[in-house]
Amino acid sequence: MRSNENNYIQRLQRKKEDALEYIIDNYISLIKGTVVKVLSPLANDGIIEECINDIFLTIWNNAKKFSGEGEDFKKWIYAIAKFKAIDYYRKNRRKSDGLSSSDVDVLAERSAEDELIRREDQTELVHLINQLETVDRNIFIMKYFLGLKTEEIARKLGLTRASIDNRIYRGKKRLHSQAMNLNMEGHGL
Amino acid sequence: MKDIYELLNDVDIDDKELEEMKVNDLERARVKKAVKASIHRKKRIWTKGIAAAVIVAGLSTAALGVAFPAYASNIPVIGNIFRFLDIGMGVYQDYKEYSSEINMSQESNGIKFTIKDAIFDGETVSLTYSIDSNRDLGANPIIHGFLDIKDSEGVGGSDKITKVSPNNYVGLLRGTGSHRKGKDTVEFSWNVEGITIQDSKEQIKGNWNFALALKATESKTQLISRQVEHTGVAVNIDKISFTPMSFIVYYDQEVSEKVRSKWGGVDVSLEIKDDLGNVYAGQGNGGSGDSEGYRMQWSTTFEKLDPKATKLMITPHLSLYEYTADNHGSVEITRDGTKEVAIPQKSGKGKEEYTLEDIVIDLKK
Repeated sequence: MRSNENNYIQRLQRKKEDALEYIIDNYISLIKGTVVKVLSPLANDGIIEECINDIFLTIWNNAKKFSGEGEDFKKWIYAIAKFKAIDYYRKNRRKSDGLSSSDVDVLAERSAEDELIRREDQTELVHLINQLETVDRNIFIMKYFLGLKTEEIARKLGLTRASIDNRIYRGKKRLHSQAMNLNMEGHGL
Repeated sequence: MKDIYELLNDVDIDDKELEEMKVNDLERARVKKAVKASIHRKKRIWTKGIAAAVIVAGLSTAALGVAFPAYASNIPVIGNIFRFLDIGMGVYQDYKEYSSEINMSQESNGIKFTIKDAIFDGETVSLTYSIDSNRDLGANPIIHGFLDIKDSEGVGGSDKITKVSPNNYVGLLRGTGSHRKGKDTVEFSWNVEGITIQDSKEQIKGNWNFALALKATESKTQLISRQVEHTGVAVNIDKISFTPMSFIVYYDQEVSEKVRSKWGGVDVSLEIKDDLGNVYAGQGNGGSGDSEGYRMQWSTTFEKLDPKATKLMITPHLSLYEYTADNHGSVEITRDGTKEVAIPQKSGKGKEEYTLEDIVIDLKK
């Protein structure tokens, strides 16, 4: 049996290689569009190519974590692509210091505190994000993993800019105190 | 806990955001080749097996030694295992204070098990234990042992074990007996027959047998009997029992014929907040009911109630999902042998999730 539009998600989740070919054929233009948009300021085609490969490998390895239908799948892999591309951008930007980053929207709202969150070990951040309420959780993911601006998040959720800022502030405070607890317990025992 | 890829399922994405870019055949073929090569490379590494695994273990121990020097000197005296194993959850914050110190040890084959503390909240037995071994048991050894609770029809539970230093482990074992009468005391035994080292698949046999009786911590029960319904699933909060270190919510779910015929799996979980804004972390105790799991009685233990709270808001979350080979398996064991039961095919596909109406409870003081 071959993969088609009705069974490719299931086949991908069962680790059938023809499903991998199917998603590369059908979604590579979306993945490339997403990656190039984020990574073009680095002016390094090698990194773009590496990132695209890595995204498909990630989708393959994590396919079982997807839940939903076909249209949701497209959005899910788009989110993964964006998340990965931003991750690549951050890692490679550090390597090449001379780069001007002012024209990249990902960094438009950088502050010292945001940098701190970014520098934290991602698994720990994910762990802590899990403890937030659904709305705040999505705000944090959009902001820190998908690089969305506060205005965009506000528009999506139908909330004001101020209330998004407020939620981020409170969430950060909570994450901060929980991260401190983790550290304290780790050292105090 | 959800990882980042699971979390990304829930993010709201606008179609307008999606931007495509032209890709030629050559690029497409290069990506396919590169991705397939990395999949196969990964497979080969796995089959090589043990040598690689040993290196990883060595590295992680070394890394731990550097990162947490405090661990190394203090390990044998971890005072509060409940708290130690509870990082990030919060359910067991106050257990140590109300538990009884047991310090009962059994040694077999050079491996010593010690039950440190035990507590019975009227529903669930929780006990902490340590293992001092004459050899390394790997990162996550599997303990083969049953917690047997006297006078119960069955026991549901969990076992969590963490390596604290080479040859030293601590664990938290919980067991909830179903359909027990008399909730003031409990008698139980824990008989461990062996340990499996996961990396090498080696099994160490031995005999570590414990028998204990515990009095329940004092508790106060408030009857609730409040029901909410959504899309053919009724959730009934039966009662809440408050202990000094926790509270336990008893609830049942009933699933209508219509939902039964459409969905394989129906799960209800509870989210609890109080009027002061506290959110309570919970740990399910399992439940019992019909074999299909549609009519079930559950209980969940939540962390200590804030004494200043006057109201509890209980929000049931309902998820309906398709049974697949990954999330469902069933076998029927009879005298003639074991038979696998086929996954029932139903029309509901994927997963649907709903949040039910809040149930607000005035706490009796």
